Amino acid sequence: MEDRTAKNPEIVGFACTYCTFKASEMAGSLRMKYPEGVKVIQVPCSSRVDPAFVIKAIFEGADGVFVAGCHPGDCHFIKGNYYTRRKIAALKELFDAFGMKDRLRLFWVSASEARRFVEKVTEFYNDIKEKKNAG
Amino acid sequence: MQGKKIKNGALESALNTFLAEKEYLVMGFEKDASNVYHRVFKDSLDNYALMSPVFATNGALYLRRLFAKGAQIILMLRPCEIRSYVELVKLTQIEPENIIAVSVDCFGTVSSKTEGDIPAGEALKGLTKDAEKARWACANCRERRGVVGDAGIRIDANGDYWALPYTDKGQAFLSLLEGETSEAPAQMAIGPAEPRPAFQIDMKEFTKDFSKCIMCMNCRDMCPVCYCVDCVFNGDEYLPKGDALFNKVFRAGSTGMPRGKELFHLIRMYHVSQTCVGCGACEEACPQGIPLTKYFKGVSERLQGMFSYMSGRSKDEIIPYLTFIEEELKDAED
Repeated sequence: MEDRTAKNPEIVGFACTYCTFKASEMAGSLRMKYPEGVKVIQVPCSSRVDPAFVIKAIFEGADGVFVAGCHPGDCHFIKGNYYTRRKIAALKELFDAFGMKDRLRLFWVSASEARRFVEKVTEFYNDIKEKKNAG
Repeated sequence: MQGKKIKNGALESALNTFLAEKEYLVMGFEKDASNVYHRVFKDSLDNYALMSPVFATNGALYLRRLFAKGAQIILMLRPCEIRSYVELVKLTQIEPENIIAVSVDCFGTVSSKTEGDIPAGEALKGLTKDAEKARWACANCRERRGVVGDAGIRIDANGDYWALPYTDKGQAFLSLLEGETSEAPAQMAIGPAEPRPAFQIDMKEFTKDFSKCIMCMNCRDMCPVCYCVDCVFNGDEYLPKGDALFNKVFRAGSTGMPRGKELFHLIRMYHVSQTCVGCGACEEACPQGIPLTKYFKGVSERLQGMFSYMSGRSKDEIIPYLTFIEEELKDAED
């Protein structure tokens, strides 16, 4: 039985429509479960995510944010996710300077990796939940 | 490096020769009894000052906002201003074709808000060690040497002035000066800056410092490299309002007012992270005295360090967010 007094975090995820979002749809059709606190937002490419979106999500109530895209080299737009990698790595460094690095993650999930998507998301959700309920 | 030693008054006469041509301008500093400020000279130099010990605004700001193409301009500005100019050229905000950028060695500046006499002579040379008077940005400056842009005016250990060319346009600038080229001394009065420790701060202190913010957005308006015409913070579309604001209050239990100031500053901090030159124009413009330079300079140095980049160092270096290497940042993924 789940502890009903525990605070449930909300997680916002930006998912590339060509891979991670397809993986999340596939996870649904395979009846795999991932926490309902995870809200996935479809973006045309992971490089569409301006780091401003991530900061806005965090300051308007999200407990964690993930950005997910195709594996490097597999981008539908040839090189979009290489830019994502630079931008999100720099954003992590910025968050690190303010001591909130654990609230942002970057995943590479391809369209066929439904299981990997569920694992990654659940792990992130549980980590955030643990921290939220600890303090 | 080959350069020209500048004789007394030779620089002014060289610039006056340049100004004698039609539609030729010089942007530099004018001094009066109590202040030094930016000035664009057209016909001749009056009350011209090579160095300005007072910082009010960053001169590169005017280039992107006020000047159309056409006129030939020589910039005689501080290294931080030339570095912003280089960044804006890379961002295609300034057409560099008709501009010769000359960086002049800088001994540091005092804030234009401080009362009292402007430092001169020996007091100016030791300014950066005087934490009471010098601006924080100048005391922790990354590049006070005139080694950026097309040419530089350097001061050697004996107090003589040298003009050094870095590009072809810099050679054209040197040809205006009289005298023969000779080998410039390697040791100059101002040496390279010492590296500073990586910026690290607690979110509580951030909240405390920015609690004074009134969201006037002067820092954005006076920032030389924050150039977007359609800024996301024009109007209040990007700030939480209506349902989103209620949502924020109910989730967090409370919210600071004016709302969205952490959002505004963190997003701006990220957006200028690779182009920030740490000039401190934001802090100078802030009516509330928030130590903005500490945050913006600290974050930008840390983020630029990730890609071994330094804003404004060279026109050939690409801004890190606009390029990539396939095999890098292996630990970026979680």
